[in-house]
Amino acid sequence: MAKTLQTVLIVDDSPISRKMLKSCFPKDRGLEFHEAGDGQQGLDLYKQLRPDLVTMDLTMPVMDGVTALVEIRAFDPQATVIVCTADVQEKSLQEVNEKGAFMILPKPPNKASVLEALAKVEEAG
Amino acid sequence: MSETTIGNITANNPGLPLAGLDLTGSDETSVMSVDERDTLQEMMNIAFGRAAASLAEVISIFVCLSVPCVQFLRGRMLAAYLEQVVGPGREISIVEENFWGKLQGSAFLVFPSGAGNQLVPLFGDEETLYEGEAREEVERDALLTTGSILIGACVGKLAELLGDRVSYSPAKLVAKRPGESIPTLQCDPEAIAIVLKTDFSFREESVEGFLFLVTSEQSIDWLKQALADFLAQYEG
Repeated sequence: MAKTLQTVLIVDDSPISRKMLKSCFPKDRGLEFHEAGDGQQGLDLYKQLRPDLVTMDLTMPVMDGVTALVEIRAFDPQATVIVCTADVQEKSLQEVNEKGAFMILPKPPNKASVLEALAKVEEAG
Repeated sequence: MSETTIGNITANNPGLPLAGLDLTGSDETSVMSVDERDTLQEMMNIAFGRAAASLAEVISIFVCLSVPCVQFLRGRMLAAYLEQVVGPGREISIVEENFWGKLQGSAFLVFPSGAGNQLVPLFGDEETLYEGEAREEVERDALLTTGSILIGACVGKLAELLGDRVSYSPAKLVAKRPGESIPTLQCDPEAIAIVLKTDFSFREESVEGFLFLVTSEQSIDWLKQALADFLAQYEG
């Protein structure tokens, strides 16, 4: 069954990066956004809100994105986490895939890449 | 394998501006708004990520990235800044490249002394690489190649994100020994330079260092407009 997204948690230490990513989501879906500035905040908010989708940066202070991804997936194995990162090294991508990322969205994002990602999430149910 | 480090460069608040330096002698925010500075920092993050991936395509290495930082310095403060970042009495190697476009300035990749020796095996069979060559030359080549790939890919991506295209001078390697001052940059002492710095380490070889770009005051007006143009695509 296709998944309907309602809540999105954006985890990124850069406020401008969070704004940029948020602006790429379609406006007509009535999505509810939440934001976190590091992996620890992201994990805490995930536990509190159980959002339908998480976007996760990798290079962050306090708790990095890989650790936050692992912790979120340990808390909720069904969590859908898209890694949105500037670190596009093959080994990084392989590592986050192995650790349960749904997919990778290379930075900078754009409307087309975000729409494509949303379609994949919804198709996957 | 011995671990080579440059003092505590990365341990000392990697993504944060250095404390204790009176950077511009004026309010930094008058140079750029918080949004402009955040955007530039994010662009540097993206650019260095691409540079790391480019290097990994050439040699088998994994580059651990950190949060970059953006600072504004008077030209006369650059040497003091470098001394503080590197730490006193350290022997280092610096790969330097200048770039020209609407964005213009200099890029410096700072490695600990001895990093060349650790990088050589990543380029191929050591015996073959060293055969008939002076050891120092091979190690120098390894540093220059690594430096020019990282600098070229990082500056190139940054320029692309800003809607610019730059050309480069050939990379050169400068050594600094303990007690020597770091080569002074060609910069008007009163001009404001934008310093973009990112720390990195190579997981396989325990080598760490940092890349920083210094752009000229003349680039600031253009840069502010380019940042606005970049952000405009995310508005509305």
